[in-house]
Amino acid sequence: MSRAELLSMTGLTLQVALVATAFALPFALALAYTLARRDFPGKPLVQALLALPMVLPPVAVGIALLLALGRRGPLGPLWSLLDVELVFSWWAAAIAAAIVGFPLLVRACEQAFADVDPRLERVSRSLGVGRWQTFWRVTLPLARRGVLYGVVLAFSRALGEFGATAIVAGILPGRTETLALGIYSRVQLGDDAGALTLCGASFVLALSAMLVAETWLRRPRRRFEGPGA
Amino acid sequence: MSANAIRARVTRRSFQLELDLAWDERVLVVFGPSGAGKSTLFEVVLGLHPDARPLVRIGGTLLDDPDLRRRTPLERRGLGWVPQDMLLFPHLTVKENLRFGVARSSGSRPLMGSGSQPLLETAIEVLELGPLLARRVDEISGGERQRVAMGRALASAPRALLLDEPLASLDLALRARVLPYLLRVRDELDLPILYITHDPDEAMIVGDRAVVIDAGRVVADGPPARVLWSRAVLPLSEALGLENVLEARVLETATDHLIARTPGGLRLTVPCPTPLAPQHTLRLGLRAQDILIAADPPGRISARNVLDARVVTLETATDGVLVHVDAGEPLVAKITRAAADALELAPGARVHLVIKSQALRRLA
Repeated sequence: MSRAELLSMTGLTLQVALVATAFALPFALALAYTLARRDFPGKPLVQALLALPMVLPPVAVGIALLLALGRRGPLGPLWSLLDVELVFSWWAAAIAAAIVGFPLLVRACEQAFADVDPRLERVSRSLGVGRWQTFWRVTLPLARRGVLYGVVLAFSRALGEFGATAIVAGILPGRTETLALGIYSRVQLGDDAGALTLCGASFVLALSAMLVAETWLRRPRRRFEGPGA
Repeated sequence: MSANAIRARVTRRSFQLELDLAWDERVLVVFGPSGAGKSTLFEVVLGLHPDARPLVRIGGTLLDDPDLRRRTPLERRGLGWVPQDMLLFPHLTVKENLRFGVARSSGSRPLMGSGSQPLLETAIEVLELGPLLARRVDEISGGERQRVAMGRALASAPRALLLDEPLASLDLALRARVLPYLLRVRDELDLPILYITHDPDEAMIVGDRAVVIDAGRVVADGPPARVLWSRAVLPLSEALGLENVLEARVLETATDHLIARTPGGLRLTVPCPTPLAPQHTLRLGLRAQDILIAADPPGRISARNVLDARVVTLETATDGVLVHVDAGEPLVAKITRAAADALELAPGARVHLVIKSQALRRLA
């Protein structure tokens, strides 16, 4: 396996994971904040549905995505109208990774928001700062650590995503072949040395992400987590 | 029409609060034992109980009116709320906390405070916050936190201040240090203030008008000096720190005091600036901590009331010992555990009670 091949596969993996996380984050923040602050009928159902991508076989998630994104699925006319071909593109890989990592992200953010005293938000609003500004100036800064933890978790999950991606994005060298897919296809072809090299690359990526999480997020408690936080 | 009015009926599963208040005075003290509904009143003013169909008018501005379907969101009510536990923003410095709501003060509403000086500067000056500005909020003391919370509220150019037991979380020494700042805020910034407290002295010092709330109802409303010692407040006496209430009849009057006699035969000297007719009935309040206990008869002493008494029981309280005595009338005194031990107090012991006449408050 060439060095260029390895680099492009690693690059694609990072690209997919980054786009997936960035794409999932705003939705996760909105949903997590709602879950942390509001009670509404059907909340347990929403939370159960939310956990599904985590507990379903990834292959099943892939099939569902194939239906949703494919031109022959129920949304097919829409994709035809917009003239986009998502299936078997790296976008599909990113979407698959986003969906599989979404529950992790929402859980971490929900917990982080729940830990922020809602009375601080009330004080902020009483000082003339609206709900939206209050979220950016009070809630998010105070929940920052938990949100970042969720981001790292979802990103790491996206790095290793295989099942759903293989179904909806295929294993197309140079286009959708991420490290996880590459390892599988090397093993299928009997290229054990290549598979091991890619395993090594995966190992380095995953370890780096986790190192960031451990060193960055487990730093001594910062000032704003003192008494009263 | 009064400048300020609150009308609401808050219903919770275990609790109901009914309010119908109107006042023009600058400082309204909201007074009552804990759990009476004082904080719920603030929540109504802050607009947190829309289901209570509230009418809220503060400083001449109508914030909520159910008949006009008017409801002002919290961020546009312009209320400088200082919650009881202050709730400073823990991720910001003192300066950042103070500046938090300042954007509002640059808006269209006229600035309050002294002349053209920006409100933030005024707040920093009046509350002497300058030396604290660069500090983190977890590095400053309780009294300083209280001042910062007040400054933060003032700097947002509020139309009124809501102070929720601003001194309650502070120890006695700190209270004495923070109270002058509070009075400066009251006197130098011409703002309507709603002030929650359960301390009668605080209410008297700070308030222009007082409402007494008990079990969700307004039981008295008027000038603090009259309201706080009214009959309606009597059932709350213990919660207010007035453990002894005595009935007495005037025996004789002098220029600035009178002698009164209780049914049990106690003769008491009571301050009285205006003469009262003999046989007039008085109701007197006396705090347990205002009674001194002496094991030996005190000699020449300024206190006008020295009573012989017998110890009935001793009761341990969280902050001392309650000594129940029989002095012709049952009375209770509060002293420290160390003092009780030093005097070797025990049921049956003969003691002398020393009571300054100033400690006897006329309730009605």
